[in-house]
Amino acid sequence: MTESKPVDLLAVFSDLEPAANAIEHLRSLGVHDDCMNVISGIPVTEAMLGRPHQWTNVPRIAMGGAILGFGAGFFLAFISPYIYPYPIQVSTQAFTPGPPTVVVLFELTMLGMLLSTFLGVFLDSFFPNYRPMKYVAEVSDGKIAILVECPHADEKKISDALKKMGAESVKLAEAQHL
Amino acid sequence: MSDNKHHAGRSHEEHLREKHLMLDPLPRGQMNDMVMESMLAKPTWKFWVIFGFLAFVVVYFLFYKWGVLIAKGQGEAGVMRPDYWGIFLVNTVFWIGISHAGTFISAILRVFRAEFRRPFTRAAELMTTFGLVQAGFSIFMHMGRVWLAYWLMPYPNQRLLWPNLHSPLTWDLLAITTYLLSSTMYLFLPLIPDVAMARDRSTGWRKNLYKILALGFRGTEGEWTHLRNAMNIFAFAIIPVMFSVHTIVSWDFAAATRPGWNSTIFGPYFIVGALHSGMGAAAVVLAVIRGTMKHMKYFVRGEHFDAIGKLMLIISMAWAYFFFNDYMVQWYGGDKWTQQLLHFHEAGPLGWMWFAMLICNVAIPWAILWNPKWRATPWAITAVGLAINVGMWFERYIIIPISVTINRMPFTWRLYQPGIEVPMGIGTLALFILLYMSASKLIPLIPVWEVQEGQMAHELKKFGRETVVSVSELE
Repeated sequence: MTESKPVDLLAVFSDLEPAANAIEHLRSLGVHDDCMNVISGIPVTEAMLGRPHQWTNVPRIAMGGAILGFGAGFFLAFISPYIYPYPIQVSTQAFTPGPPTVVVLFELTMLGMLLSTFLGVFLDSFFPNYRPMKYVAEVSDGKIAILVECPHADEKKISDALKKMGAESVKLAEAQHL
Repeated sequence: MSDNKHHAGRSHEEHLREKHLMLDPLPRGQMNDMVMESMLAKPTWKFWVIFGFLAFVVVYFLFYKWGVLIAKGQGEAGVMRPDYWGIFLVNTVFWIGISHAGTFISAILRVFRAEFRRPFTRAAELMTTFGLVQAGFSIFMHMGRVWLAYWLMPYPNQRLLWPNLHSPLTWDLLAITTYLLSSTMYLFLPLIPDVAMARDRSTGWRKNLYKILALGFRGTEGEWTHLRNAMNIFAFAIIPVMFSVHTIVSWDFAAATRPGWNSTIFGPYFIVGALHSGMGAAAVVLAVIRGTMKHMKYFVRGEHFDAIGKLMLIISMAWAYFFFNDYMVQWYGGDKWTQQLLHFHEAGPLGWMWFAMLICNVAIPWAILWNPKWRATPWAITAVGLAINVGMWFERYIIIPISVTINRMPFTWRLYQPGIEVPMGIGTLALFILLYMSASKLIPLIPVWEVQEGQMAHELKKFGRETVVSVSELE
C-alpha cells in the first residue's frame, strides 16, 4: 500500500465557536491534534479551542537566564574586587560587603532573566523567520484560520467537513513570503 | 409606560457603550484600518513646522552645544564648588521619573487586570524607552569626558581596573541599563502582532520595515503561547526592576551624609515622585495623541482620562504624604545645617520654586482631579499633567543643586547658576517629542489586538432592571 502525499488545507472561520467545533469534528474524522494548527489575530487559549496544552520553554529559559545573571552578579560582587591589583577598601565596609552585593546580584539576576525571556520567545517561535510560510492575512482582521495537514486522499473529505462546520473558505495552503 | 422604560433602558445601554471603548466594539478589520490610517495619514504643514523646529532645537541645542561642552570643557556648565551636581542630574532624575509611567501602566495595570489600560499601554511604554534615552544622554553630558564612558563597564582590561561596585553610581549603571533593556524588550514583545498586522496592510519600504520587525509572526498557537508567557514574566519582573531603578537613583543622594539628603525615606519618596511625573506626562501624551491623530477619539475616551486622573490624584496624595514625612523628620531632628537648608529652601532666593512645587504637585491636582467631569476633560487633565511635571522638575532642582548649596562649610556656599545645561536640557525635551512624533508615524500606537481581546471579554449584563458592565477572564 502506498501512502498518499500529505497536503495542507487552510480553512478560515469568522468566529471562535465554529472554529472550535470544526477542530472537534476534525478530531472525530481521525485528524490528530499534531496535524492541526490554529492561526489567530488575538491570543486564543487552548481551552477555548479545545486544543491540547501548548508547551513553551520560555519560563525555563527565563530561569536559566536568571541563574546566569546571578552568576555574573556573583562574579562582579565577590570575585572582581580580588582581580583589581590595588584593592579598594570603602571606609569600614567589608571587602565584599553584604548590602551593595544584594543590589548587584538583584540587578544582574533580573537582567539575565528578562534578556533570556526575550530570547526564549525567539528560540521557541523560531524568530526571526523570513522564509515563505503558510498564512492568510485575514487572521489579522479577526478571522481564525485552521491549518490542517491531511493525506491527499482525504483532502475532499476534510475540505467538505470544514465547509460544513462553517468555514468561510477552504483552500490548499501555499507557503508565501509574508 | 413600558415603552418608556424600554427606551430609558436602551439609552442607558447606549450611554454605556459610548462611554466605554470595551463595550463599543468595531470589526477588527475596521480597527486595523483606523490605526493604519492614523499612522499613514499625510502629515499636515503644522506637523512639519513643529517637526522641523524640534529637529533644529535637537541639532543646535543638544548636539552642537554638547560639542561645545566637549571642546571647551565642563566650565561651560554652571557647575563649580559646591554645586557639582546641576541640571544634567536634575534632568537625569526627571527623565527616569517620566519613564516610570510606561511600566506602571503597562505592567502594574496588566498584573491587576485594569481593563482601561488596553488602548494606551504602548503610548506609555514608548514614554519609558524615549524617557530613558534622555536620561542616558543627560548622564553622559554630566560625565564630561563622554568618550570614556566605557570605563564604567566591567570588563578585563589592560589597566586592570574594575568599577567599584560599592558605589551607588555603579549601581545606577546596572539599574538603568537593566531598565532600559527590559523596557525596550517589553515595548517590542506586544508590538510584534501589531507590526505583523501593519505588514499585511502596507507596501514599499514600510512593508519591508514591518516584515523585518514582525520577525515572521503569523499568530499560531505556539507563537501566542510563547508571547503570552513572556509578557507575563515581563509584567511581573519589570515591576521590581522599576522600583529598584528609582530607589537606586535616590541612593545617589541618600547614601551621602549631606543635610537634606541622608534620609531613609528617599527610596519610596523618589518612586512616588517618579510615578507622579510619569502619570502626568502620560495624561499629556494621551491628550495630544487624541487631539492630533486621526481616529484616536474612538480609542482614547473620557473614561481613560478619568481613570488616569484618579491615579494621578492618589499618587499626588501619596507624594504629599512622603514629602511631609521627609520634611517633618528633618525639621524635627533639629540638626543645625538641616535647619539652615530647610530655611534656604523656603525663604532663600529660590523660595518661590519651593512654593511653586507644592502648588503644582499638590494644590492644582487636588483642586481639579476630585471632580469626575474635569478629570474626564482632556484639556483640563493636560493642564494638570503639565503642572505636575513642572512641579516635579522643581522638586528635583530643589533636591539637587539648591540642596548642595548649603553644606557644613559655609565659606563654600554659592548659589548654582546654570549655563550651557539649560539649552541642552531643552534639547533633550525636544528630542523626546521628536522621537515620539516619529514613532507615531512608524509604529501602531494602539495595540489593536489587546483592544480586541478586551472587547471580547466585556459585555453588558442585566441584573434585575439594571444593566451593568461585566468582564470575563479570558486568560
